Amino acid sequence: MSSTAVSDIELLLRGLREPLDIDEARWERLLRIARVSGLHARLAATNLDQARMTDVVRRHLLSSARIAAYRAQMARAELFHLTPLVDSAFPVIVLKGGAYLLQKRTLAHGRFVSDVDLLVPKAHLRTMENRLRTAGWQPEKLNPYDERYYRDWSHETPPMRFPGHSLEVDLHHAITPVTGSLAFDPASLIERSETIPGTPFRALCAEDQVLHACVHCFHDGELDLRIREVVDIDGLLRTYAEREDFWQRLIARAAELELQRPLWYGLHFAQTWLQSPVTPDIFKSLATPPLLNRVAMKALVPLAMLPSNPDFPPPLRVRVARMLMQARYHLLRMPLHLLAPHLIRKTLRRLKAQLDRRAEAPANDGAP
Amino acid sequence: MTPAEYRLLDVGAAKLAVASPIESFHDHLGCVYPHHEPIGGAPFADARLSLLPGSRFRLRGRQVVLWADSLRPFEPYPYNCALPLFEWGSNFLLSRRLNAYLLLHAGVVARNDRALLLPAAPGSGKTTLTCALHLAGWRFLSDEFGVVDMESGELLPMVRPAPLKNRSIDVIGRRPGAVLGPLFPKTRKGDVSHFVPDRESFLARHRRAIPTLVIFPRFQAGAALHCTPVPRAQAAMRIGLNSFNYQALGPLSFQATVALARRTQAYELVFGDLDEAIAHIETLFDGTP
Repeated sequence: MSSTAVSDIELLLRGLREPLDIDEARWERLLRIARVSGLHARLAATNLDQARMTDVVRRHLLSSARIAAYRAQMARAELFHLTPLVDSAFPVIVLKGGAYLLQKRTLAHGRFVSDVDLLVPKAHLRTMENRLRTAGWQPEKLNPYDERYYRDWSHETPPMRFPGHSLEVDLHHAITPVTGSLAFDPASLIERSETIPGTPFRALCAEDQVLHACVHCFHDGELDLRIREVVDIDGLLRTYAEREDFWQRLIARAAELELQRPLWYGLHFAQTWLQSPVTPDIFKSLATPPLLNRVAMKALVPLAMLPSNPDFPPPLRVRVARMLMQARYHLLRMPLHLLAPHLIRKTLRRLKAQLDRRAEAPANDGAP
Repeated sequence: MTPAEYRLLDVGAAKLAVASPIESFHDHLGCVYPHHEPIGGAPFADARLSLLPGSRFRLRGRQVVLWADSLRPFEPYPYNCALPLFEWGSNFLLSRRLNAYLLLHAGVVARNDRALLLPAAPGSGKTTLTCALHLAGWRFLSDEFGVVDMESGELLPMVRPAPLKNRSIDVIGRRPGAVLGPLFPKTRKGDVSHFVPDRESFLARHRRAIPTLVIFPRFQAGAALHCTPVPRAQAAMRIGLNSFNYQALGPLSFQATVALARRTQAYELVFGDLDEAIAHIETLFDGTP
């Protein structure tokens, strides 16, 4: 990463919170790294009506703000369509972006919503799935192996989509993979959930929302360019920081669910990158990850999560960091005796698909 | 790392910057953008990308990879097809980023800054008709993007080479005055060669035009010319259907397409012969207030 790329990132992070006064060339670089990080509409939310800028920059910010508004509208529409499927028999909890939207949180401004995530008690998972199918949502076509992977080893069902809708619905029965080291009984998440006024849905309580964001960021997927997940954590912390006893409850809850480590990482990177209001005594009351993990994460997470110089393909150290973080993710998700056969199987299938593709004529991408 | 050397192209409604160490790409670029002179300074580019050679050791032939902002948004193309990859890839990137405008999928030509819009699905002969009209004396604004400024309702030019495919390469290439770039045989979309708009159109790339006539063209081999008026409400809906971002812009694009349909006359034109189609369009255009 060149020195200008580093300061571009600092500028991007600053621009998420306050209007910037920079020239057109700087805006262009900023828009480029913001776009690959999915943060350009967040940048628009703070800058569009505030900062001085040229027309062309304004047009790009406007463009991203419009797409984010459209996607938010589609998410609200999807949730509206789901409303009749929710009754008093069991609670349905909206996770992440959908919840921030329905709860009208500031962090939802300019945040791209990619799908609707719902959490239901495991005992009612089948019922909810059947309700969705009956109402017209269709599960993605999967081969039997992938279907079994979802059913036995994952914490969600295969994604479902209503024909013609742009968003997918993911049905969860837990917020951590059932085979991973962080697995815990999600019953208390549901017990402590809160109503979302004006809707039949519920949302996780403040502490659980923060913990879920941390788990999702550091333990549920690859980290490539996912700095927006830390931006979410920061947004939640700023929303709840002033609430009475928020921090004590957060720390106690992390201990109870044994999620101190993801929380530590979440708070650490949110504070380092976005100056989240985390005081030193909060870190003191939280179990610190072992030195080796800390050193490795501090070295690798920035390389994996932050955008690299937009003028070039990612340099070797970034690619290595992203690969290592992906290996870590797989190991956290599944014990090795399950993971190894799974990955071998996936790799063989990918190779076979490649061979099949070579046999056919190259496909048309279908873009303009 | 040395900074990438970008070549800047101002095509009107957008500026593009491209860097590549591939010499043949620069030669090809020079062929299809012959009027562009180097732009100094570091102006804002709406899309900035690099075309880099793939691995030298790939068994099934070397490839060229499009990099934009440290990502690889598309599958690589064969090494000698860098220009089609650049044209197609940068158009795709622009179609995602220019939501400040209503983006129609349409050819646009103009006379005296009064514009004719040709909105159509791929395969309807839109590009061929746009090029033929340009060769018949119309100003070339775009063969792909009808860029609508939603506040004024005016059309912004996006003067880029028009990718002719398969048979239309010969159909347009035979016409007097036609300038075509190199032929790229057997790409994903068949044979492709780029039609080069003339210098006057290039120089006028910042001059907007007023939408006047809308023709929904449909080429049908051997068909007799058949032209039917399209009522305004229907025209508005069909314009919306032929748009990249109609859905995403919501009420804004609805108002803009209605306004566009109100200020223009619209026809559907089925044609089998280009010259006949051009003559008919010119008659319609002259009769449009």
